[in-house]
Amino acid sequence: MIWRFTLRRLAVGLVQLSVLIVAVFFLIRLLPADPVSRFVGLNASPEAYALAEQSLGLDLPALEQFEVFLFGDDEEVGLVGGELGTSWVTGSSVNQEIRQYLPVTLELITLSFLIAVGLGVPIGVLGAVNPGGAADKGTLIYGLFAGSQPEFSWGIIFIFVFFVVLGIAPGPLGRLSPLTDPPDFVTGAITIDALLAGRVDIFLEALWYLSLPILTLSFVLSGPIIKMVRENVAQTMNADFMFYGQAAGLPRGILARDALRAAFAPALTLIGILFGFMIGGAVLIESIFSISGLGQYAIRSILAFDYPAIQGVVLTISALTLLIYLAIDVCQALLDPRVSV
Amino acid sequence: MRLTKGYDRWVIFFAFALAACGPSQPNDTDSSSVIYITNDVPAGLDYDGAASVIPNSQEGIVNLMDPLIDYAPGETTEEGVGLLNFTSFEGRLAESWSFDEATLTWTFNLRRGVKSCVGNELTADDVIYTFARAKSVSGPSPTGWFLANVASIESFDATVLADENLRGLGDEVKKIDDYTVEIRQSTHNQLFLPALTTFAIRIFDSVEARKHATPSDPWSHDYINNVTAPAFGPYCVERWEKGNEFVLRANPQYYRGVPEIDRVVFKKVPQSSNRFIILRMEQADITKGLTPREFKKLREYDQLQVVGVTGNETLFVHMNFDSPPFDQVKVRQAVAAALPYNWIIKNGYIGQAQIWDGLVPSSYPGGKSTFHDSPEGLDVARQLLAEAGYPEGRGLEVYEDALRLSYPIEKEAILGPIATAIRTALRDIGMPVELDPIPLTQYGDRQLVKKDLPFALVDHEKAIVVDAGYAVQLFFVSSEAGAVNNMVNYRNSRVDDLWTEARAERDSERRYNLVSEIYDYLRDDVVWLPVVEYRTQWATRKGLKGFVWYPDNGIRFADLSYAR
Repeated sequence: MIWRFTLRRLAVGLVQLSVLIVAVFFLIRLLPADPVSRFVGLNASPEAYALAEQSLGLDLPALEQFEVFLFGDDEEVGLVGGELGTSWVTGSSVNQEIRQYLPVTLELITLSFLIAVGLGVPIGVLGAVNPGGAADKGTLIYGLFAGSQPEFSWGIIFIFVFFVVLGIAPGPLGRLSPLTDPPDFVTGAITIDALLAGRVDIFLEALWYLSLPILTLSFVLSGPIIKMVRENVAQTMNADFMFYGQAAGLPRGILARDALRAAFAPALTLIGILFGFMIGGAVLIESIFSISGLGQYAIRSILAFDYPAIQGVVLTISALTLLIYLAIDVCQALLDPRVSV
Repeated sequence: MRLTKGYDRWVIFFAFALAACGPSQPNDTDSSSVIYITNDVPAGLDYDGAASVIPNSQEGIVNLMDPLIDYAPGETTEEGVGLLNFTSFEGRLAESWSFDEATLTWTFNLRRGVKSCVGNELTADDVIYTFARAKSVSGPSPTGWFLANVASIESFDATVLADENLRGLGDEVKKIDDYTVEIRQSTHNQLFLPALTTFAIRIFDSVEARKHATPSDPWSHDYINNVTAPAFGPYCVERWEKGNEFVLRANPQYYRGVPEIDRVVFKKVPQSSNRFIILRMEQADITKGLTPREFKKLREYDQLQVVGVTGNETLFVHMNFDSPPFDQVKVRQAVAAALPYNWIIKNGYIGQAQIWDGLVPSSYPGGKSTFHDSPEGLDVARQLLAEAGYPEGRGLEVYEDALRLSYPIEKEAILGPIATAIRTALRDIGMPVELDPIPLTQYGDRQLVKKDLPFALVDHEKAIVVDAGYAVQLFFVSSEAGAVNNMVNYRNSRVDDLWTEARAERDSERRYNLVSEIYDYLRDDVVWLPVVEYRTQWATRKGLKGFVWYPDNGIRFADLSYAR
């Protein structure tokens, strides 16, 4: 049953992705600027323009360009062969660049989510099982406080307080000190690569440099998670089966655990949506903390009208988001079998 | 707000926890390495690649590759910044050179014993390879060919772009022996030597470059764009993570002496405010590209220094001759008279600028400084506007689209307030100006390719070849006469004729007079409206010395050292 459900959702996801490929390809060509000017260099003469246009493949009709994008040409194999093309800005393979930038963002947001969920869920449950109590009030205030300003604002405040005023946190210099040689690239996530290389010192240094961006993101993300968990658990605590449990004399801990399980499905949806959003949405945090992740790459590509890179970023984020949504649906189906019917 | 006692304890606990697990900070640097924080690191190292238009990429190139010749050192400013003598050249990879007037042929004698990063010795084959590569126009932005064309090297003309069969190197660049090369010009042109000093046409290590050629990429563009530019410069690439870090190590065999700064770490810190605080906290050694206000603030700290020069960074107003009402000279003059120059210097650049009184940077030889000799002020501007047929601005409302003042949105922090002050001044005389910040790529497309930007603020255009005539060829002769970046669609047959004459003129004084006459026309026609020249600045730790200003504004780290 669950397999059939998963396959059905995968098939829908593939159709969505195909539509997106077509839409992205043609929509970015409607942007109000011609990218050739960016690449023509010092010489913007008509002859130089024509040469640059030819070298970027933009002299071909749009449909022919799409065909090359899908099926490649003499030099590249195209999307069907798993290639996203070559960046016009750097001359590097877009696959290679995404392989470099994506793990950076995934590492940042995964660590942030681990902390946000690890703190948010117990705090939310604590608030719900003692409604009106001190913990509940504290939860409410924290949730409001964390959600009161956007993440970049908190990032700037944290840099100012912890780095500039107190001098106890690292500067916004990325994931490692500029003087440290990073471990060999294996996964692209520096904490994992450091451990794989047996370099505990670099692992600790990476955690140190990532501490402020992670603190910022987890602080902001934990707000809605706490609120969602608290509301759902509180609602579940008023359900008939909970009253029955209370009447049967079950301990509060067991009641809270059962309430959490029942309340976790909507919270899981929220966490999944937030995670998918943050893959592209962490750009401001990346920018503020000088972390070269996918968001920064996306912004650079958009500003330079680097079509192959834009297409690559959009498709990657979309594919990942679809996979995350699929995973959420599967988890929902496992938690509540009625969903998969 | 006072923290509660409990919360206070948590803050202190968190602070100690962070401090306890934190490794050493990057300010533990020694005097043989520097951390250079910059808005981006090189995106490519191929001067014929798309990334060559990006100043960060050019900065990478000039630290890896050396030219045949360069300008001789000039004076040193009070702040200790070295200037170049733009009328005198000295050898780099070429030890000496000569010119035969009769055959228009330059002979370069190469320095012996020059070694690249991988240990290959410089020979004439490297020079031949470099020019052959330039003529192949195989990169998307063939800057090498373009500058060879500017220098009038024979057969490096526009036909090369159109006809694939003309892209092979003939005997215009010829190997005489292993250490001698001849280069022939098609016509006498004084831009030849200046063009050789730029970031392009620097010499490749052909032996190493050829090793990375493939059938589909015979000129190794992929390798040079993604790994390194094999060459004979002072530094070699140690590590390069695009969009993040670029690390250079001194070339141990550099022919001019191993640089004192052994290791340079370019670290991308995109936000200027972050670069400011990182330097302020002494966790880096050098930065640039801060706002004028941030530079001013850094001057207050004893452990830091800010040095700079009035080089070739300028701000001008672009008014398109094909976009009414800017087709009328009186309107352009009215704008020139109305601009709040002093406000822009005092508030826009915090005093780190001066009125630009010509169309050539004042640091370049041969420019005239008479642009702002005419009376200026709002009353003069109103009078000029009335003479143009728009008293109090009446009648200008039909040009709503043309009166949108564009500037790159990426430069909002600096240009935004200046644009607002200009709008206020122009509204005062009745011109209904609105602001129109747009992305740089869109801006470039409209300015350079479509040439349909009516009204704009420009602070990033500069002539990298140090010559008043080069700017004429690049920006001011008509497109029909061969200008490549005539962004305001200016057409003046007299200017075209004068430049044709000046370009081939052998006598320097006569050429100067011809170019001066051209600039008189440009001034009278208000082809561009020069506003200010602003200072190129670097903020560094105190003790770091040896900065030299080059026309590409890139730092040469081999020039730097720490005061003992």
